[in-house]
Amino acid sequence: MNPLETRLAKLARKGDQRAFAEIVGLYKDKLYHLAYRMTGNRQEAEDVVQDAFLRVHKNLDRYDENQKFSTWIYRIATNLCIDRLRKRRNVYSLDAGSSDHEGLDGYSMLPSDDRTPESELLLSETQQLIHEAMATLPAKYKSVMVLRYLQDLSLQEISDVLDMPVTTVKTRVHRGREFLRKKLEHKL
Amino acid sequence: MAPSSRPQEKKGMADMKCSVAVASMHDYLDGGLSRESSMSLKHHLSECSACRTRFNELERTEALMLAFPVEQAPSGLEDRIMQSLPKSRRPAAWTGWVRRHPAVSAAALFLVVMLSSFVAMWNQDRQLSIAGPDLDNVVIEGNTVTVPAGQQVSGDLTVANGTAKVLGDVKGDLTVIDGSVILASTAHIAGNVKKIDRAVDWVWYKVTSWFGTIAYGS
Repeated sequence: MNPLETRLAKLARKGDQRAFAEIVGLYKDKLYHLAYRMTGNRQEAEDVVQDAFLRVHKNLDRYDENQKFSTWIYRIATNLCIDRLRKRRNVYSLDAGSSDHEGLDGYSMLPSDDRTPESELLLSETQQLIHEAMATLPAKYKSVMVLRYLQDLSLQEISDVLDMPVTTVKTRVHRGREFLRKKLEHKL
Repeated sequence: MAPSSRPQEKKGMADMKCSVAVASMHDYLDGGLSRESSMSLKHHLSECSACRTRFNELERTEALMLAFPVEQAPSGLEDRIMQSLPKSRRPAAWTGWVRRHPAVSAAALFLVVMLSSFVAMWNQDRQLSIAGPDLDNVVIEGNTVTVPAGQQVSGDLTVANGTAKVLGDVKGDLTVIDGSVILASTAHIAGNVKKIDRAVDWVWYKVTSWFGTIAYGS
């Protein structure tokens, strides 16, 4: 339990906009990172972050102080990402057959990156490889892997965020890791 | 830590299958492998080159993933977020109360609607009106209806929302609704004098007709 975050949440609940701005400052990068890795798209990531903070603001009354604030805010952001991926998949499932292949469902075949050429130059080849590998990860594993590596959460915290048993999280981390290993093995 | 120093475990280690070893590798990377299992895995890796390769790959993948840099939110996002927030959280508290007390809220709303419609309709009905078959000799001054001395009204006289002042004769009934009656000593009324205070009846009438409207939509 982080007393600072809980205190900020309490202040924000009473209508203190500066306290809420502090929360935004603490979490904007983390949520953006999470959303970008989940959706693979910068514009969507921005939308998700904005939407997530709006929901946090609106539902501050429902935040349970016995819960970690980070768990709560990650859950809101992750659910928004999963919703978006699901909507995307529904659009793509109209294309027959493409979702039969592991890791090759419709959404993973979307042009996943809209970064500008200049910033692309700044990414090392290895980072580019990892980015692509993450983008092709099936959605089921993606949320677990993003939380595991990019937010550095424990398996227990991931299970709290995604509301699934730790054993399920563990299995998905293992399968996700194998998936990435296979993607990267020839290239490293 | 050398396997040779723990001869008792060595026998068990040799039996480790590759599938078990792979599961152990993942547990190790998750940070949850017991000391004993670590020893077994270590021994297996020393004997199985396929698993050794796999372990190296997994370790490298893990290291790369953990070293992956954090994306920075674009500048200006924070301001956009703060600007998109509703200015005050108070209205949310109010709607929250309504949501928590649906029955009380509905009752309060009902009362407000009923009262306002009563007031509106009551005011419409406050004008003086008189009725009767023979009104030629009646004098109306403001809110007062006067039957002058020596004059005669040949039938019933009904006055609503006003004062009936009778100095002369009324051959029928005198009915006053929501008003008052002044009878002079010279007055002569053949029928009955009736005073009706309509407020209670009127409310009852409006309530029943209002429910009728709801029930039958007419």
